[in-house]
Amino acid sequence: MKSKSNGKDFCIFALPGLFCFLAVLIVPFLYGVYLTLTDWNGVSQEKNFTGLKNFAAVMRDGQFWSSLLLTFKYVIFVVVIVNVLAFGIAWLLTRGMKGQNFFRAGFFTPNLIGGIVLGYIWQFVFSRVFVSIGEATGWSMFEASWLSDPGKAFAALVLVSVWQLSGYMILIYVAGFMGLSEDVMEAASIDGAAGLVKLKNIIMPLMMSSITICLFLTLSRAFMVYDVNLSLTGGAPYGTTEMAAMHVYEKAFTSRQFGVGQAEALILFVITACISGLQVYLTKRKEVEA
Amino acid sequence: MKRKAVSRISLGLSLALLSTALSGCTFGFASDPDDPNEAVKEETIDTSVDTFQYDSSLEGTQITLLNTKAEIQVALEKVGAVFEERSGVHVEVMPVTDGDSPYTKMVSLYNSGNPPTLSILDTTDVIALAQEKAADLSEEAWIAEAEGYLTEVNGKVYSLPLCIEGRGIIYNKTVIEETLGEPFDPASISTLEEFEALLKRLAAAGMERPLSLAKEDWSLGAHQLQYIYETYDGTSEGAREVIEQIKAGELDLAGYDRLNEFLNAFDILKQYNVSAKDPLGADYDEMAIDLADGKTALWFNGNWAWPNLAEAGAETEDEYGFLPYFLNNDPTDFANQMIQGSPSKQVMLDGQMATEKQQAAAKEFLNWLVYSEIGQQMLARTCNIIPPFQNNPYEPADPLSRDIYEKVHQGMAFNASAIVPNDHWAILGAAMQKYLAGRSDRQELTESIQAYWDEQ
Repeated sequence: MKSKSNGKDFCIFALPGLFCFLAVLIVPFLYGVYLTLTDWNGVSQEKNFTGLKNFAAVMRDGQFWSSLLLTFKYVIFVVVIVNVLAFGIAWLLTRGMKGQNFFRAGFFTPNLIGGIVLGYIWQFVFSRVFVSIGEATGWSMFEASWLSDPGKAFAALVLVSVWQLSGYMILIYVAGFMGLSEDVMEAASIDGAAGLVKLKNIIMPLMMSSITICLFLTLSRAFMVYDVNLSLTGGAPYGTTEMAAMHVYEKAFTSRQFGVGQAEALILFVITACISGLQVYLTKRKEVEA
Repeated sequence: MKRKAVSRISLGLSLALLSTALSGCTFGFASDPDDPNEAVKEETIDTSVDTFQYDSSLEGTQITLLNTKAEIQVALEKVGAVFEERSGVHVEVMPVTDGDSPYTKMVSLYNSGNPPTLSILDTTDVIALAQEKAADLSEEAWIAEAEGYLTEVNGKVYSLPLCIEGRGIIYNKTVIEETLGEPFDPASISTLEEFEALLKRLAAAGMERPLSLAKEDWSLGAHQLQYIYETYDGTSEGAREVIEQIKAGELDLAGYDRLNEFLNAFDILKQYNVSAKDPLGADYDEMAIDLADGKTALWFNGNWAWPNLAEAGAETEDEYGFLPYFLNNDPTDFANQMIQGSPSKQVMLDGQMATEKQQAAAKEFLNWLVYSEIGQQMLARTCNIIPPFQNNPYEPADPLSRDIYEKVHQGMAFNASAIVPNDHWAILGAAMQKYLAGRSDRQELTESIQAYWDEQ
């Protein structure tokens, strides 16, 4: 009897979700893997099996590997800056300062603007507003558009991403800080823990669950960055800021090498999944219960 | 409160920017950032005479038209509405939104089993799709009217050439005359030396950097660099031939005259570029404003730039026109006399999913555009394009299209368009950007071009 009703419950509650999950995620994913083994051009009715040829082409595609390297660089900058900044601001915003709710909302606002829009706004800021400031003040830093220099354009990308992502992470860290038990904090203070010691030995371990989720979110988002990349720099100047996701799209649709693009997407997926998985595993181990 | 106000302002700003951003076309080749909803001064259409024979059995048929030329979206909807009024065939005009390239859109539409009956595509896309997807149009009557502008794939015609587009160095005659204080005759310049002398005189007269040079990869990679193929002998056939030679490694690019000449010319443009200090920071919209306002006198672009100029305040009565892209100092070289003008957008008919009735209705629509008095007027006036059909007596209204129209009819335009792989503009556009910014030299650029073709 028991198992029968379990089966019914499963059908009612899990099956619809499972079906959607399979239909929109697993099946397309597997189909995508299959496409990496063909020479399909995107529209043709014919798909010829080509084995691992596409992967060999990926190996030869130097641009892909350099864009992947750039993505790594970007991920490191974004993940570190976003999390340090968000952690710090969240800490400040949970100390009972005046108007802290207002600031929380304020910091979160950039996250409500879509990446494409954000990119265009900042493009205007970097190439027009900054240049005007440079003209008016003579500061050499703002003399030319940031987006026309490879190094500065990369910095611009990191800056905008940090600006966008921090708000979200602040929110999660704020929730984490609010969840810290007053008793534990007080006990720690009575035992003589203060300042950095308290941060390192009491607060950090208790905040580990927030850190896990924030690191995961920033890692996966930074690896898959496309919208800000497209609208802010579009890969300019001369393709030096083209991240991996953008390169994949260009490969598949502009160069019309569908199979190669798909294979690159798969490689990007595996790398991202491995790194995020490893991160979750490592940080989860450090989580403690108060 | 202040903060809220600020965020509200920034939101408003972002929406405004979004709307401008969305209207620009990132991927299109020849028809670039323009506003599809822009109110261009419209010519009235005389609908009193209509001798076109409509097939009444097609009434009630629904067809779709994928439009990849953003600036004529509104105009095409009007054309569709008038056609429906007359023929009873409903034409649904689908736009390609920003972020989608025409080809990407076609790919997704075909994969969803819902392709458009008619689609306006770039020539390369037609060639890529024709044999498998398109209906053969070789037997259509309008073939005879579009002589010289047809694209053949394996000896068959799969597309109707919609418009002629041309490019060169746009001049603002009034500004040149005001700056130099003397009449300006564009025909008096026929060599690169003379062109450089003009630039020098403009600079001496106070217009220090009289020329705008777009940094966009489609402009540099497709419109500029492709001169090296298209001026081989001024025909599409010649362009194909030279590309084959480069691919096969039979032609040494470093010793190829046209490449060297092109770079000589490009270097001069670079030198007099209004944003020479930060060439990759140049802003496309600002170039139109600069030319209309007289901050510059010249702009390398094509007739699709008119909506931008109109938005910047240029009037159809103003005197704008094209100078050739001067390549050398031989006044008899066709490249120094003529500007490039060739069909740029093609209408392809789906032969795979469209029903016979839809195909017939679509063919009627194409015939109507070519033969009916109303269709002819609407192409030239409502859409403001240069129709490649000999029987169309209507002239386009804006000065840039008019100049190309006249040059085509006087034989002062060469019809060559190089068929290059789809990523040519993106990849070699980036190489050209690097050269423009002065971060690579001729040798590196030449090697990039050779490397690109070796990959193909």
